[in-house]
Amino acid sequence: MRVVLDHVTKKFDDFTAVSEFSATLEDGELVCLLGPSGCGKSTLLNMLSGILPPTGGQIFFDKDNVTNMPPEKRGVGLVFQNYALYPHMTVLDNICFPLETQHVPKPERIERANEIAKLVHVDTLMQRRPGELSGGQQQRVAIARALVKNPRLLLLDEPLSNLDARLRLEMREEIRRIQQRTKVTAVFVTHDQEEALAISDRVILMKAGVVQQNDLPQRLYDEPCNQFVANFLGNPPINNIPGTVHGHLFFADGTDEGISLPLFQNIADGKRVNLSIRAEAFIPEENGPIPAHVERVFTMGKEELAIMTLGDTEFRAYIDTEVGLVNGQNTRLNVRRRGVFVFDLESGAKLA
Amino acid sequence: MRKLSRVFTYLFLTVTGIIMFFPFFWMFMSAFKTSAEVTASPPVWLPSSFSLVNFQLAFQKAPFLRYFLNSIIVMVSSVTVTTVTSILAAFAFSRLRFPGRQTLFTLLLSMMMLPFEMLIITNYRTVIDLGIYDSMWALVLPFTSSIFYTYILKNFFDTVPDSLYWSARIDGSSNWNYLWKVMVPMARPSLTTVILLNALASWNSFMWPMYVIATDTYRTLPWGLQVFTTEAGSNPEQQMAASTVVVLPMIILFLFARKYIVGGVARGGLKG
Amino acid sequence: MKKQSAENDVVYRSKFEVIEPYLYLLPFFLGVAVFTLYPVVNVVLMSFKQDYSMLTRGFSSWGLGNYVKTLNDPNFWQAIRNTLKYVLLVVPISLALSLVIANFLNQKLKGSAIFQSIFFLPMVTSVTAVGLAWKFMFNNRGVINYLLGLVGVKAIPWLRSAQGGAYNMTALVIFGIWNILPFTIILLLSGLQNIDPQYRIAAKVDAASSLRIFFRITVPLLAPTIFLVCIVNTISCFKVFSELYPLFGGNPGSMGNLYTVVYYIRTSMMQYQDYGVASAAALILFLFIFVFTMLQQGIRKITARRSVRT
Repeated sequence: MRVVLDHVTKKFDDFTAVSEFSATLEDGELVCLLGPSGCGKSTLLNMLSGILPPTGGQIFFDKDNVTNMPPEKRGVGLVFQNYALYPHMTVLDNICFPLETQHVPKPERIERANEIAKLVHVDTLMQRRPGELSGGQQQRVAIARALVKNPRLLLLDEPLSNLDARLRLEMREEIRRIQQRTKVTAVFVTHDQEEALAISDRVILMKAGVVQQNDLPQRLYDEPCNQFVANFLGNPPINNIPGTVHGHLFFADGTDEGISLPLFQNIADGKRVNLSIRAEAFIPEENGPIPAHVERVFTMGKEELAIMTLGDTEFRAYIDTEVGLVNGQNTRLNVRRRGVFVFDLESGAKLA
Repeated sequence: MRKLSRVFTYLFLTVTGIIMFFPFFWMFMSAFKTSAEVTASPPVWLPSSFSLVNFQLAFQKAPFLRYFLNSIIVMVSSVTVTTVTSILAAFAFSRLRFPGRQTLFTLLLSMMMLPFEMLIITNYRTVIDLGIYDSMWALVLPFTSSIFYTYILKNFFDTVPDSLYWSARIDGSSNWNYLWKVMVPMARPSLTTVILLNALASWNSFMWPMYVIATDTYRTLPWGLQVFTTEAGSNPEQQMAASTVVVLPMIILFLFARKYIVGGVARGGLKG
Repeated sequence: MKKQSAENDVVYRSKFEVIEPYLYLLPFFLGVAVFTLYPVVNVVLMSFKQDYSMLTRGFSSWGLGNYVKTLNDPNFWQAIRNTLKYVLLVVPISLALSLVIANFLNQKLKGSAIFQSIFFLPMVTSVTAVGLAWKFMFNNRGVINYLLGLVGVKAIPWLRSAQGGAYNMTALVIFGIWNILPFTIILLLSGLQNIDPQYRIAAKVDAASSLRIFFRITVPLLAPTIFLVCIVNTISCFKVFSELYPLFGGNPGSMGNLYTVVYYIRTSMMQYQDYGVASAAALILFLFIFVFTMLQQGIRKITARRSVRT
């Protein structure tokens, strides 16, 4: 099913949780809503499920305008962070519950429940109660319950954040597998950038109720459209070196030496900017344009993570061990084409 | 030293335990004693035989079977109705949304401190005005809703996460369906507590029946028992037999459901 | 809190759901309105209506007449004195006993369940039925006087005293303590179980004696519960009636000397048909309860704030 959100807005009293949100989710796509807590991603999910009615804009499921449709009529499946399994019911009863309220005859209920249980690998646990299951198993049951009624749209609200690190990795692959098998359109809410990039067809990054970038996962990383997006993605976080541009040269704060990079060609004189460079984008080069002082070096196997300074600013760089950096030495660096950006220091807008 | 204090603890608990239990012991034993044994000095500790003759005599002299049935009827109907009204109200206060919800609930909570002794004055008149004086209705109607039990249930309902509710709603469940299919089964421990406390209160209720019941037909056990003792021709051993009939069902109930009753009392105190 | 109030208005609600809460509340409110809300209002009004006329079967004016009448009635003052005496004896004694018993019961003893069952029995049994057993035991030739006789005490006329009724009151107080003990123990025990055992372990490591631990660690940490118990018990003792009834065959003491406030209300109502005086007395009773309830709320707030800080 194709979902269209058209200028969807949600206001609580004088606080705007989601502002003029427009996007299209294609049929069978898994889209991540990514952003820090309070960015409006859960509010948006609740508007898709029908729990929260929007205060402005419209939502379409295919041709149907569902903006004011009650949650029970929308045919969505929702998986909560805490799984929301009914503790007094067995796994089978939990999975059957949505069918029961739709008055599906019992034999069919059980058949469909068993079918979906097999898909999510909980078919051996049908007579257990949620309290007797591990977190990962509970999560699988919750997904089965959401899928059993063949929803038009599957919504997942931070479904992995209650799991420990290893299970999280396993479950996110599982969710991807199940989603691709059922071909259900899915929306996945998370604040974990790594999770979002790994699992989804497309990522919508939000901040304070406003969409920052709606793009393919890799492009979000490679071509962030503003400072916020660049900062949000990547581990370690992107290095931001504030400075001023004079005559197409970049003067990092606290230095007199202008750095010449093609990026600065079209930037006006006197502009305050951030030179943002991902840690893996540095190349040691004898006559490189960037002078740096090596503070500390941490060995990480094939690479070293070097903490360096440029003027007043400290930054991190991954450097090949063969270079053999030494604490306290001065060195010169160049940068790759990918992973280097210039942002307006005030507005965060991308300049190059 | 530790051993000594342990011995002392046991000794103290045993002695106080004997004192606490003694009235029951005396009641039960006297229920089986003959007239001579009951009035003997020095007292006879154990009856010569455990014959039920005192129970028979008591049941002949006063309609204790009637009282017993009345008590059961009043208890079952008032507990059933109160439980239903409390579940519905607690759900409304906990889950449903309506203007003034919080204020109304606070107001109700503050009404819990009103002593029933004060309300009796008007309720007695109300019962007469409604034309239900000296009837089963008079015993049941005033006890069909309870702020206290609603409060206990609401507290439990409040602990159920929102996500369960919305999950059910998205799966097509109405509020009504959610309440009975999800909330109530989950609340079984709290409900058990509420039902047990209510049953105890109803069974032991004395003051209200005394006000509104004038004839044998509708007397419940505690009130019937008092009438029996003040009427001529009742002997102590028969009184003790009748008292045993009043007391024993609740003791048995307590032994089976101690956990729930004690837990409920610890959480909310007793009604009244 | 503010977020919750915002949420109230914004989550999805169908048209039916707007009226649905009232349907759920209706049966509950019917009972509350008729048998709690209306009586409160009515009792206040009645207490201020005076000059009842037998002819018109109505009251001719508003005023404090009922209160004046009540406060000038020696029986009412006797009722207040007796009630206060009862409260002042039962509450501290039962508290002291319960503290010791609860502390012992909390020590993970073998057979603790049996002890608990025995201690808690009076809570679930009919006061009036057990009262008959006590009456029987308090008899002049009863088992209590017999046991006292064994240690050389002359027979005490517990329930039949002609002189001032001091023995009547003693009998009532003993029965009252026995009756309120289970409830008090349960509250204290649950208070004790909420105390982190590490405090006591720490004190034990410091080689404190168990008596010292009890007074320096347990009791102070239990203070909020102790306050709660005091107030709840005070309120319930103010309402003493059901204990009194069986002991003296439905009379307030052997010589009409043991009027309590609730007994006074009943007599005014049933014997003198004076609902105005009954209402005034009931409101005075409520005033006591109100003051103590506010005290409890105040203390609860203070302790809640304190526990947040630590």
